Amino acid sequence: MKIISSSGTKGGVGKSTFAILLAFKMLKQKKKVILCDCDVECPNDYLILKQKLKNSKPIYQEFPLLNEKKCKKCGLCSKVCREHAIFWVEKNYPKFILDLCTSCGACWISCPNNAIEKRKEIAGEFFVNKIKNNFWLVTGKSKAGISETGPIVKEVKKRAIELAKRIDADYLIIDTSPGAHCNVIQALLNSDKVYAVTEPTPLGAYDLRVILELTKKLNLPTEIVLNKADVGSRREIEKIARKFNSKISVEIPYSEELIKAYCTGNLEKMVNLI
Amino acid sequence: MKIVVASGKGGVGKSMLASALILLFSKEKKVVACDCDVDAPNLGLWLGITEYETKEKISTSEKAFIDKKKCIGCGKCIGVCNFRAIEKRNDEFKVNPFLCEGCEACKLVCPVNAIKIKPVKNGEIRVNKTKYNFPLISGKLYVGETGSGKIVEELKRKAEEFGYDVAIFDSPAGIGCPVIASVRGTDYAILVTEPTPSGFSDLKRILEIVNHFQIPYGIIINKWDINSKLSRKIEKWAKEKFLGKISYDKKVIDCIVNLKPITKSDSKVTSEINKIFDKLIDLLDKEKK
Repeated sequence: MKIISSSGTKGGVGKSTFAILLAFKMLKQKKKVILCDCDVECPNDYLILKQKLKNSKPIYQEFPLLNEKKCKKCGLCSKVCREHAIFWVEKNYPKFILDLCTSCGACWISCPNNAIEKRKEIAGEFFVNKIKNNFWLVTGKSKAGISETGPIVKEVKKRAIELAKRIDADYLIIDTSPGAHCNVIQALLNSDKVYAVTEPTPLGAYDLRVILELTKKLNLPTEIVLNKADVGSRREIEKIARKFNSKISVEIPYSEELIKAYCTGNLEKMVNLI
Repeated sequence: MKIVVASGKGGVGKSMLASALILLFSKEKKVVACDCDVDAPNLGLWLGITEYETKEKISTSEKAFIDKKKCIGCGKCIGVCNFRAIEKRNDEFKVNPFLCEGCEACKLVCPVNAIKIKPVKNGEIRVNKTKYNFPLISGKLYVGETGSGKIVEELKRKAEEFGYDVAIFDSPAGIGCPVIASVRGTDYAILVTEPTPSGFSDLKRILEIVNHFQIPYGIIINKWDINSKLSRKIEKWAKEKFLGKISYDKKVIDCIVNLKPITKSDSKVTSEINKIFDKLIDLLDKEKK
């Protein structure tokens, strides 16, 4: 099985559109495909594929819970917490600010009195949709308010890989979120190939450089998908491609028909665009 | 007053709109522009900035390092790492620097003190004077580093040094750590969307964050005419929170290609934004009272 990622630092450049078109293209070639929506903060592939998310399966994270009977009010937990998520005033119980907590566990490990217990809470969920014969969609969704979404991405990807092995899939296509920080890194790791989707504007050029620098650091072979290829100016994009020893391997023209297909869940008929 | 521009979905026009609002506010108020998208800081381009004058390297991140000589291979660190950043490869324990958050959990659990936590320079804060006489503060998370939310907090702190009537924070896409850091502590949120099923769904996601912090907000639909039916539906759904809508116009792309501010364009988008701005001013005045 090959893992192929559709990424790109800028939002709205067509990462999901490309990932779905690619999936349909492979289906046409009689391959077995799993699409994994790793944009767990704002998953949209199911909408573009006109699916409903059903049979939610939970993804848990552990948060600290104070056992006041055991707590000696020493404040060590507030000192070890690097997220400043524990507020402590001398002679008082510490207070946990869950908005800032990343569930790292430093507090319960360091508590000399074992007064901090772990409370399992749902941090996200994942869904599996069978779209059609030989085509599955795995979707991850973080709970709103959860700050560290990287671990959720890792978990969702793990489930997608398990499914891929079970059904003997040919391709796992990963659709990442915009940006270039931990949730994107987690989604990109172990890809056999990355498609960096961008558009020919100064914004697209700047952001393309970021994603190419990232995939270079992660040592992942990367090619460029130029969306809205006939709008704006492509010279800068070509320059960046050369600098990073990459190439523009797919070009998608600006197309109102494509926007319509995206809105109405009919991307399959646009498969010849790539 | 602190105003954040956010959307959930990327590419719906946050930075374009933020740049326009800043320029409009700057006519009468002392403003500070803040680009909170530290992965892809693009607000500067909308304000005509391609080079950053002052860069201040910062360290808001730390990482774990395992001393091979001291490590006895017990594996406790792997089990405790919530970020799945420690791996065993060929009998050797290694920290994946791309995933480590420097939380110290591994160090605390290591029975032989083989793990050290060291600070890393993970980004920079940049201050620019724009040609419109207000400062732009932006941040940059170095590629492959962690700690984006903390850089956002750092640059918001920097903004305070300047003193302002209005600070505009241009948030990144998503609803995770850097977005929460951008939204937290603001007085008003402008939520931008586009009339696609994805845009609408992501609007509801970012709204959960804004409501969590109980921040007053208004909703703007960008490129409304690419799907007027769904646009009407969103407008109806937004009710009194609806601030206005902006058309799709290729002249907007010409602006960014030529690094020309959107407020100086003859596109109909410009007059639509002016109208939204007037409504916003009225609203904020009422909000104050």
